[in-house]
Amino acid sequence: MTNELVGKTTSPKRILIANRGEIASRVAKACRELGHTAIGIWTDNEIHARHLEFCDEWVHLQGMTNAETYLNIPNILKVIKENKVDAVHPGYGFLSENADFADALKEAGVVFIAPHAEAIRVMGDKATSKTLAKEAGVPVVPGSSAAVETVAEATKIADQIGYPVLLKAVAGGGGRGMRACHNESEIKSNFEAVQRESESAFGNGDLLVEKLIVNPRHIEVQIMADKKGNVFHFFERECSIQRRNQKVIEEAPSPFIGDDEDVRQKVCQTAVKLAEAVKYDSAGTVEFIMAEDKSFYFLEMNTRIQVEHPITEEITGIDLLVCMIQSAFGEDLGIPNQEFIKRSGHAIECRICAEDPITMLPAPGKVTGFETNFPQGTRFDNCIFKDLEVTPDFDPMIGKLVTKGINRTIAIRKMMCALDGLHIEGLKTNIPLHKVILREENFIKGNYSTAYIATIKPQEKVTTQFDYLRIFNKLAGIEANRMGL
Amino acid sequence: MRTYLIDNDKNEIIIDLTRTTVHSHELVEFEYSAVRDNEIVQKENIFVRKLAGRYFSSTDNKRWTRLAKQNLPTHILNVDTIYKVFRGYKPSGLSGGNDGELLTQMPGKVVKIQVEKNQEVKAGDTVLILEAMKMENEIKSAVDGIVKEVHVKEGDALDQGVLMLEIEPK
Repeated sequence: MTNELVGKTTSPKRILIANRGEIASRVAKACRELGHTAIGIWTDNEIHARHLEFCDEWVHLQGMTNAETYLNIPNILKVIKENKVDAVHPGYGFLSENADFADALKEAGVVFIAPHAEAIRVMGDKATSKTLAKEAGVPVVPGSSAAVETVAEATKIADQIGYPVLLKAVAGGGGRGMRACHNESEIKSNFEAVQRESESAFGNGDLLVEKLIVNPRHIEVQIMADKKGNVFHFFERECSIQRRNQKVIEEAPSPFIGDDEDVRQKVCQTAVKLAEAVKYDSAGTVEFIMAEDKSFYFLEMNTRIQVEHPITEEITGIDLLVCMIQSAFGEDLGIPNQEFIKRSGHAIECRICAEDPITMLPAPGKVTGFETNFPQGTRFDNCIFKDLEVTPDFDPMIGKLVTKGINRTIAIRKMMCALDGLHIEGLKTNIPLHKVILREENFIKGNYSTAYIATIKPQEKVTTQFDYLRIFNKLAGIEANRMGL
Repeated sequence: MRTYLIDNDKNEIIIDLTRTTVHSHELVEFEYSAVRDNEIVQKENIFVRKLAGRYFSSTDNKRWTRLAKQNLPTHILNVDTIYKVFRGYKPSGLSGGNDGELLTQMPGKVVKIQVEKNQEVKAGDTVLILEAMKMENEIKSAVDGIVKEVHVKEGDALDQGVLMLEIEPK
């Protein structure tokens, strides 16, 4: 009876968390809170898997590599059978967007805490998701729908969609085989060059013409849907601060959209429309690219819980992981209608990664000391501990620092204070880079695009000078510990 | 006690702990100097206060910042550089000589020789104590091996770069 009164589940399930690190902890906390049994996995490659401390039961998965463990569908199915698992939460990465895994679970009669396999499949493919978006009336980046053979054809399309345009390889990626053209003569002079470049880089000289979005912003909308056909949005996030197409800092709401409620509603409604078009039934994110005139175009939909979900939880006060689990079991989310979901204040997330703060390349190592001293209201989702070995086998992200304020200024102020209170010793982290960005003028004004790191180059402002006083302090602490203080 | 911090490019930072004062069960004061070319470039007193199981440090015993508790680590971080930490000794291999050759890193006086010729030693074993800049420095072997020759005796005053001991690596 009490369980019902406090919103705990009346039918406890056994949930396997097929992931590790901070997201495994986060999922386990939601399972435990709801009254389900959280089953955690550890592998031979990570005996001190800290996420287990939040799990009720621990299962050993043999193997050293991810292919042998977290990505090994037959092995995970075996674990599911042996442990009488009712449901699987995939976290993010690994098997989270694997439609075959979704099918296998369905066949085994196990609930996948994710959207249905068809949604994963459609959204997992760039071409089919774009087609679906178009059919649903969701704007996509204007451009040629098939390979363009000649300069004449390219200029014709450019005239239709308007300059500047991007000539890009069909097979391209990572910024190669791409060139911006601002007029007809630039198309003429670049066409063959890009063709040759693509031919040599990707073995495929086919080109596309696409509208070039100048200074684009990365805007994404959090979606949550239940199995009864209710699709809700949880407002947007802006994740324009990126390196190597990976997010570094995320904010909710978007400082670029700012007070423009019309645009906000339009983006969010568009995301809902797309989710409804695939009969979405779980947590997901619709990603858009937004131009300077606030026109926006569909990029892709991530059919999983995302790394940066905490900032949305902070501004809406709703636990997305709890909702995701409730939705998977066909339960009520406790959200009567869209208007019920309100946002207040501003939240920022800094991804804390074991990487060089200047080159931003992963820098594995061992944590020799870890302490925090945060301002009120700081959230730090992490799996860090003293003696943690950060290996090259996993993503270098070791924690997510989240602050919230009644407005953006206060969220930034809290984040500055939180970063000063985050002490990770023994390995390189991007904390010094975050400190530079948080103090940088364009960031503070909220005036930044996805080109921020490439053009503003905050990494060049990281002070690397040897700081004797700081090292004295560290050595003094080590000496005091040696003395047994 | 001297600590050497050496990065991958063999850049070397020398930090001397010149005084330790235990004020109470909760408070210790250290005097640290950074040395470059035998000159002190910066000197500070650092207080470490234990509070509810955690460490805080201060330069004036008034204003405190939290420290991450660390055991003696093998490496230490400065923003984007990882330094190897050698407390009390510097492996001779990092100063240009052969791994088994122990040379003086600074002028000093031999206080104690702890090994004899033909004795077996392990990497990290203290073989000799050298007093330099009013501090005792433990000179440790960088290799496993057998003491081939001892070139100095207790009480010798040595210049920088003098070969003190040779160890035949195993």
